[in-house]
Amino acid sequence: MNIYDVILRDFPFLLKGLGIAVILLAALLALGFVIGLTICLLQLYGPRTRFVQWPLKAYERVFRGVPIIIMLFIFYYGLAGVFDISSFAAAILALGFRSGAYQSQIFRSAFQSVPAGQMTAARAHGMSLAQAIRWILFPQAIRHAIGPWTNEFSSEIKETSLAYVIGVVELTRQAHYIITSTQGNTLTVFAVVALLYFIVNKAGNSGLYWLEARLAVPGFEKRQ
Amino acid sequence: MIEFLQFSAEQLPELLKGVPVTLSLWIIAIVLGFFLGLALAWARVYGNRFWYALSTAYIELFRGTPMLVQMFFIYLGLPQLGIVFDAFTSAVIAITLNSAAYQAEYFRGSVLSVPQGQLVAARACGMTQWQAIRYVVLPQALRRVLPQWSNEAIIELKFTSIAYTIGVVEITARASDIGSRTLEFFQIFLLAGVIYLVLTSSVASFLGWVERRYYVPGVTHV
Amino acid sequence: MADTPVLRADAIHKRYADNEVLKGISLTLARGETKVLIGPSGSGKSTFLRCLNHLTKPDRGTIELDGVEISDANIDRMRARIGFVFQDFNLFSHLSVLDNVSICPIRVKRQARDEAIRRAREELERVGLGDKADAYPAELSGGQQQRVSIARALAMDPTLMLFDEPTSALDPELTGEVVKVMQRLADDGMTMLVVSHEMGFARQAADEIVFMEGGHIVEQGPPETLFSQPAQDRTRAFLNVIAEHG
Repeated sequence: MNIYDVILRDFPFLLKGLGIAVILLAALLALGFVIGLTICLLQLYGPRTRFVQWPLKAYERVFRGVPIIIMLFIFYYGLAGVFDISSFAAAILALGFRSGAYQSQIFRSAFQSVPAGQMTAARAHGMSLAQAIRWILFPQAIRHAIGPWTNEFSSEIKETSLAYVIGVVELTRQAHYIITSTQGNTLTVFAVVALLYFIVNKAGNSGLYWLEARLAVPGFEKRQ
Repeated sequence: MIEFLQFSAEQLPELLKGVPVTLSLWIIAIVLGFFLGLALAWARVYGNRFWYALSTAYIELFRGTPMLVQMFFIYLGLPQLGIVFDAFTSAVIAITLNSAAYQAEYFRGSVLSVPQGQLVAARACGMTQWQAIRYVVLPQALRRVLPQWSNEAIIELKFTSIAYTIGVVEITARASDIGSRTLEFFQIFLLAGVIYLVLTSSVASFLGWVERRYYVPGVTHV
Repeated sequence: MADTPVLRADAIHKRYADNEVLKGISLTLARGETKVLIGPSGSGKSTFLRCLNHLTKPDRGTIELDGVEISDANIDRMRARIGFVFQDFNLFSHLSVLDNVSICPIRVKRQARDEAIRRAREELERVGLGDKADAYPAELSGGQQQRVSIARALAMDPTLMLFDEPTSALDPELTGEVVKVMQRLADDGMTMLVVSHEMGFARQAADEIVFMEGGHIVEQGPPETLFSQPAQDRTRAFLNVIAEHG
């Protein structure tokens, strides 16, 4: 059987792996978004006590300083001992918590790039701190954040491949299965897999550029 | 906690044997990646249409696909064409090629951020294009790029752990071996995490020091 | 009720580290009254204005709006009744002009959206910018932005309007349009406290001029007397400087 027939035959498996990778990506980005935004808001507007700020700093340091593979193993073996948890759930948690540490920095600099006068003006007209953040700062910060967030999206789609090491049957592992079962043409299979990642990455980026353009209002045009 | 400390004390020497492998993998790859990255950036900024297109395609390809797949491609795929590298070399190649694509984009950004007048002024005092770039543009660009470059270097340090998947016996692989032997997977990976944290923090402090050391008012910010 | 002043500030003190910026400022504004605060830079005018709605928190002293003391507990409600116009406008950059004027009534006063939009259009007409409702702040001149920010404050139905050097960030040819809007507000009976060096406005619209220096009120009185026969030498010296440069 020639390699192209094999790929054609096994393509549904690759697509299934790709589907798992995309779901993993969506889940980890969503989790990271919530964690990142919460950390950023606590750092900028939360209590200034060391009791609150120090753990946030430590969280970022740890999740940014340790390789993803190690984090995946720590979550996988750490949680498996306590809960009945699948490798997929462990991957979402490990990658999502980690993404939160990166997204918090993206949001922090986005909020900081909103001029201080915006907050002052909102408060001066009777908005509470929460209202000012919700209606005035957040809509502006999100427009600043979307560019760097696109980079984070690209990193994470590639990093879903590492969930392979704890046995999540995503795209890379499906590729491995196909190779072992056919003892076939590894080169071509991995080239196809690389192409699939490349396409999803490009598609995601285009979507985010489109969103950025749609949200742009005069004064918020894409810089450069 | 005490149990963990005791376990750590027992296993640490074994685990630390992976550190030189991790570090040599990292240093060789980012240094090679540095020169390849410079060449790619050069092609994109100063090259003709052919070199520009080639460099752009390279960067897009390597930034758009996972390093794990790149490493498998080199280690498991290339032998099919009769090109065989051992695991360590394959890992060095994959990290180098990947890192070069990222470094190139940072270099390009920083070269473009050097005001055009600098190059013109250098040419005006009789320097050749090459001299102007070598003695005027590059020293400024490299200073500007340092913070981003540090970030990239640390990302690659963490990415060396991917070499474990093709059997390079660095820190992660040692941890995995010890885990299989002792069945204390959680504890050993926790310990490995601590080692990586120490490594990345040390590298970050060192590069921060370099940034301050080569600080020039007006060219860089500290 | 008729003689309760709209604003009563009593013995306001503020210090930054070693620098005592306000050394006990007291001031009242009756309904419909316009007062203009003048004084050299660093005299504490802007700080005093910001203390009135706690954008800067005073160290000591009390502030009453319509007889109710402003405190941390009621500050957001009180601010909703005090219009504030900034030197650098501070329009919300992500919102159209119409949304800039209607967002505070909608979010803070929980006004119905249609009602708030209708009202916003009215206020924009009032400052002469009815045709700019769909523009974004970045598309407007400084003078237009400042008029929008006045409309934004007016849409909240303020009891009192505070102006913090509303024309000093504007090119000279644009100050006129803003001054005209302020003048008409004063004529319509709005209660206003204005920090400004627009002597034309001060002369025509102010019921009283307040001269501040070094954290004290040096002198206050109706414009005709204060400008022509100031009682204090420091006031005279300051007015001379303004006359030469302004």
